[in-house]
Amino acid sequence: MAAATSKRCLRRYPTARWALGAFVCALLLPMVSEAQTLRLIDGDEVHEVDVEQLRQHSTSRFQLFDPYQGETVEMQGMPFADFLVRQFGRVPPTLRFTAWDGYEVTLGGWGNPNWYLVTSENGQPLSLRSRGPVRLVERDYGNRDVTALREFNDWIWMIRSIEAVDKL
Amino acid sequence: MKQPFVSSSDSCASSAKRKRPGRYVTWLSLSLMSFMALMILIIYEARWVFPEIQAYFSQSGNLTGQQLATRSRLYLQDAQVRLLEMPNQDASSDAIVDIELAYGLFDVDIYHQHYDCTSASLSVLDETVTALESNSVPPVVLARELLDPINCLTRIEMGQLDRRGEAINTFAERTRWHHQVLIYTGVLIFLLGLLFWWLHERQLRRAEKATQDTLRWMKRAMRDPLTDIGNRSALQQDVMRQQQQSLGLVIVDIDFFKQYNDALGHPAGDTLLCRLARVIADALPEEATLYRLGGDEFAALMPCENHATLQYYCQQLRKRVQEAQFPHLTHPNNDQVTLSIGATWFMPKQAGFPQAYEAADKALYQVKTAGRDDWRIIAVA
Repeated sequence: MAAATSKRCLRRYPTARWALGAFVCALLLPMVSEAQTLRLIDGDEVHEVDVEQLRQHSTSRFQLFDPYQGETVEMQGMPFADFLVRQFGRVPPTLRFTAWDGYEVTLGGWGNPNWYLVTSENGQPLSLRSRGPVRLVERDYGNRDVTALREFNDWIWMIRSIEAVDKL
Repeated sequence: MKQPFVSSSDSCASSAKRKRPGRYVTWLSLSLMSFMALMILIIYEARWVFPEIQAYFSQSGNLTGQQLATRSRLYLQDAQVRLLEMPNQDASSDAIVDIELAYGLFDVDIYHQHYDCTSASLSVLDETVTALESNSVPPVVLARELLDPINCLTRIEMGQLDRRGEAINTFAERTRWHHQVLIYTGVLIFLLGLLFWWLHERQLRRAEKATQDTLRWMKRAMRDPLTDIGNRSALQQDVMRQQQQSLGLVIVDIDFFKQYNDALGHPAGDTLLCRLARVIADALPEEATLYRLGGDEFAALMPCENHATLQYYCQQLRKRVQEAQFPHLTHPNNDQVTLSIGATWFMPKQAGFPQAYEAADKALYQVKTAGRDDWRIIAVA
């Protein structure tokens, strides 16, 4: 009954249809935009970084064979140590990562300049389906076997938040 | 053209040079190298092989710990639930996020390579997201559409489990072979180490025996076999050893010893020599050393600070031999053995042994020419 009334209203007032469409979009937008932010946690301080902003700061371009995609792709990003210094004022000894798919891990050794925070791939911004919005890769992975994905366990995807952990 | 002449000594030297490098590789070094190789083998096993085992069997808690296909399937199933319930637009957007996440976990090269349903399933996911965004297809239909990708993911999970099982079996086979090689190699190296050690010990024992033999022969070369006292070489060596010491050198000659031998035979002569050696040794001070210079000639070397002491020793020596009363039937002047004694007093650093010997011998000669059975001391010139 209520549904039938609503349909009649929408047919009578076209502007109401536009308003409803805008409302639906407004509801969807947070989800889309949510995956476009990166949360940084340093003790009690929490702040969100716009991924689009990170893309603008991504000045390093390089070609890399991505073992998960099985092909060489052009990546765009920034040295991860530089990013940490800019955001945390230091390279914390360990970092706790939380990914959009719920994966959590705490790892250290991020002062190595080999690590890059990637924001775009082949000119396209990273999305959830391309394991974005940001992803960590190693520019030089030496002689590791690219067919053994377990060798690339540290390449953290879909990063949602990064927390500085000074003491484990 | 003539060949350059090579002497036999050159060829001996070159063959010795060829053999020389072998000396550096001793049994001991081979043994130590074997045990070191064993240690390296054990460290290799602990340091490199164990992490490889970990890489295969300890996959929990990391990015690829749980199969990507499993995680993708769970997200698709969540999306299905949301689509089937679909109470509001939040659910729709959550479903989109789930499908996007599932897509990211699904779109992996290894799945494209080994499972032909992958591309088609990803296309379905792509279409589902588009339909959800445009709200053009009923959610129930879209939920049903997701069944094919879910089936594909299940196939992938099973297939990957099989592949993982095969990989683990292969690894287990490799590990077993590796361990067998390790055990046999370890035992072989250990036995080689023991063998080299045993050869080293044998070599050591032989070298020790050779040294002992050499020392024994050297000692024997310095002794007179009949009287078991030192010989001329021992006398020279002892003088060389006491360069700073003031020494007395006494040379003793048995008077008419040839006649003694001719009358009683050489065995009796040898007996006399032995008995006389004992008497002379007893007559001289304890620190004196007695030598047989050859034939019937003896020498004694002792610390001696002055002429008077040496004179006393000579007197004592003559007196003790007289007291011993060794019979000498063919002695022209006496019926018992008598001695002619020549002595000198010197310091080896100032006057060498040849000069001292010459002086003592001169003194002895003077005694002999004066009729024997006496003693005389002459200073070193």
